[in-house]
Amino acid sequence: MFLQTLITGLSIGGIYALMAVGYSLVFSILNFSNFAHGTIIMLGAYIGYFLISWFYSSLAISLLGAIVGAAIFALLNVSLAYIPLINRKAPPLYLMITSMGVSIFLENMVYVTVGSHFYSFPEIFKKSSVSFFGSEISTLDLFALIFSFIAISGLHLFLTRTKMGTAIRAASYDMTVASLNGVNMNRLIGVVFILAGAFAGIAGVFLGIKYMVYPTMGWITSKAYIAAVIGGLGSLPGAVIGGVILGILETFVSVYISSVIRDVFSFSLVIIFLVILPAGLLGKYLEEKV
Amino acid sequence: MQYILGVLSVIGIEIIATVGLSVFTGFTGLFSLGHAAFMAIGAYTAAILTYFYNVPFLFALLAGMLMSAAVSMIIGFPTLRAKLRGDYFAIATLGFGEAVRVILENLSITQGARGLPGISHYTTLPVVMVFSLLVVWMTRNFIWSKYGRNAIAVREDAVASEMAGIDLFKVRMISLIYSAACGGLAGGLFAHYLNYIQPAMFTSVLSTQLTAAVVAGGMGSLTGPIIAISLFIAVPEVLRVANMWRLVVYGLILVLIMIYRPSGIMGYHEFSFEILKKIIPGRAAGYAGKRGI
Amino acid sequence: MALLELKGVTKRFGGIVAVKDISFALEQNEIVGLIGPNGAGKTTIFNLITGVYKVTGGKIFFDGKDITDLDPVSIVKCGIARTFQNIRLFNKLSVIENIRTVLFREADYNMVEALFRSPKVTKIEKQLVEKAMEYLKVVELEEYANYRADSLPYGLQRKLEIARALALKPRLLLLDEPAAGMNPEESLMLVDLIRKVKERYNLTIILIEHHMDVVMELCPRIIVINFGEMLIDGTKEEVQSDPRVLKAYLGEEYTYVKG
Repeated sequence: MFLQTLITGLSIGGIYALMAVGYSLVFSILNFSNFAHGTIIMLGAYIGYFLISWFYSSLAISLLGAIVGAAIFALLNVSLAYIPLINRKAPPLYLMITSMGVSIFLENMVYVTVGSHFYSFPEIFKKSSVSFFGSEISTLDLFALIFSFIAISGLHLFLTRTKMGTAIRAASYDMTVASLNGVNMNRLIGVVFILAGAFAGIAGVFLGIKYMVYPTMGWITSKAYIAAVIGGLGSLPGAVIGGVILGILETFVSVYISSVIRDVFSFSLVIIFLVILPAGLLGKYLEEKV
Repeated sequence: MQYILGVLSVIGIEIIATVGLSVFTGFTGLFSLGHAAFMAIGAYTAAILTYFYNVPFLFALLAGMLMSAAVSMIIGFPTLRAKLRGDYFAIATLGFGEAVRVILENLSITQGARGLPGISHYTTLPVVMVFSLLVVWMTRNFIWSKYGRNAIAVREDAVASEMAGIDLFKVRMISLIYSAACGGLAGGLFAHYLNYIQPAMFTSVLSTQLTAAVVAGGMGSLTGPIIAISLFIAVPEVLRVANMWRLVVYGLILVLIMIYRPSGIMGYHEFSFEILKKIIPGRAAGYAGKRGI
Repeated sequence: MALLELKGVTKRFGGIVAVKDISFALEQNEIVGLIGPNGAGKTTIFNLITGVYKVTGGKIFFDGKDITDLDPVSIVKCGIARTFQNIRLFNKLSVIENIRTVLFREADYNMVEALFRSPKVTKIEKQLVEKAMEYLKVVELEEYANYRADSLPYGLQRKLEIARALALKPRLLLLDEPAAGMNPEESLMLVDLIRKVKERYNLTIILIEHHMDVVMELCPRIIVINFGEMLIDGTKEEVQSDPRVLKAYLGEEYTYVKG
């Protein structure tokens, strides 16, 4: 029972980590909470769902399509809504409000166009399970876990081994210095959003498989922000660790205490963390340049 | 006629909540995503007191305000301590609204999702008008006092404010408590206007409406958000717009305002600190045609 | 006793040492120039004194009191005020409101009185406007009182920043490149202004400045910082004749006018 809960928690945590990574990536560069990220995840889930229903349960096509689709939406989001503000050096609050506007707009566009149906993914994995030290682990959980791990490792390689990745990391330390060194900022921001969008796409498909697809599934995606706070705002390793910890704790709470208070618990966790560890596990207060 | 009076009452009630939020978002520069939760707390506190305990209406309203203020302190204390950024508070409010809803749905005294029917109808249009005028006047006084100026300073430049001896945490807390108290009052009035409340009434739709009104009306304006919230309520009533389309439009308004006119429809314009005008007359035009608050 | 004393102050950002083992003391009423090439760590020293950054090592004393671990607000209360290299005004407030805002400590009324706008509040607010005008007169900005702060030309914004710092009633004033972006004529007027306020408010001043004519004109004593370390602390004559200073500045485009 314990082991099973742990592994379930781990696989949910993997999805949270996927969601939080994209959010944190944007935060580390642009220094604002991109609340539209959750909505991009929701769009990824829809794209994944429709592709899988058209193409006879091919998870590969569904995942690939969701990645590409969500990345395109993320790119549209940044170029239409954020770039005008970034270029005139608007304060982060304005970007945060814009992102909230984008999120509300897209979510309700889905409502009025696609409708409020709950769609569930065809059962690809749900029936099968693997036996592991006497606990039954569903193949989906295992697959989600492994896939999250591979995707995050891939991102890590990209950020450390490529020229663009290095530029992104430099920009997360200091935007002005990076731009002085000849990095095209708008292009860099575009790449960051494409990455964030791609991760949102993967997260969306897994979330959709686990919890069904519906317009307000964005609520679950707010866990991404909670995970990022636990790990430390703007820190990528923090986002991963925060996501995994949140996933495990939440699963234990819903199994051993009550699933009703699960979401209240996650929310309280933010408060508790901010009281005892205000900078999160790996973050530090971003000292503003004076 | 009854219908028009009803719409006016709702406008008056929401003006109270909007004006409160404008202190927090417009003047202090912090962002909340779950402001409706403060209305919910005020509504339930006041309604439970009049419904189960026969507490006089005014005292019940006061208790609703105090309860909202107290809860806002619990949320604000950890989240507003992070010196320079308001992101923590915004993230915490994402879950806050949901947490309040879950709690209201699971407490026995709130009667869960069914809600409280049969609350006495104390909130008449004159009551609403008295309260909204009072709150608007008091908020104006707040903004024109040292408290309001400190809030604006913090919004304009947190670092410079701190270097001028302004305690960021204290200023942000005061604004939060003020706006939560306004929300609580609006909630209490709302409950005794509708005679019926349930947790599902205080969702993100309401929070979004309030935020959109403050942003569209002008962050740094008091009259702007009042005009905006009145339009937001009246126009869909006239046009009979479906709820979902309203939200699509609110989302679009937030984005477009931020891109094209971040100072909102009113900008910073209703401000004219009269005292200053008396001291330096004939200076209204201002340097290069620009004049600030 | 020294008014301000830094003892072995060090600041590290991650692996980078921005300020290393800086020690100096300032006597009451002194005016000291703090110079050095860009990125030498001058502004960081201001940020450490004012508590924006926490020191990694060393101690800072003000008027005999250890202020090393105080938060910025308490440090301001002790009597230290500053201006900023990249002007930080309350842009959307008017010129006079910029001053009136920081006079909040002198506004002795409470929240209830404020909300109901008692006559006491009205009276105090009126007095604050008068006090704010006084500061504007000192920096000759009274005719711009009602203009929006960000509508002022650059040079006037710098003056307003000085007025705002003065309104905090400091004993020590830290000026971070007050002449930046000014033409020689304006710089000259600034020199007069700084002299005037120093006398009038009995101030001790540290001045970061790249305009050497301003520094040489105002500061009998100069501290030179390079790569976060103290290069020299001496009279302006000593600094002018020191070959290390020229070397530190080599390749940098500064106007070096002999005082």
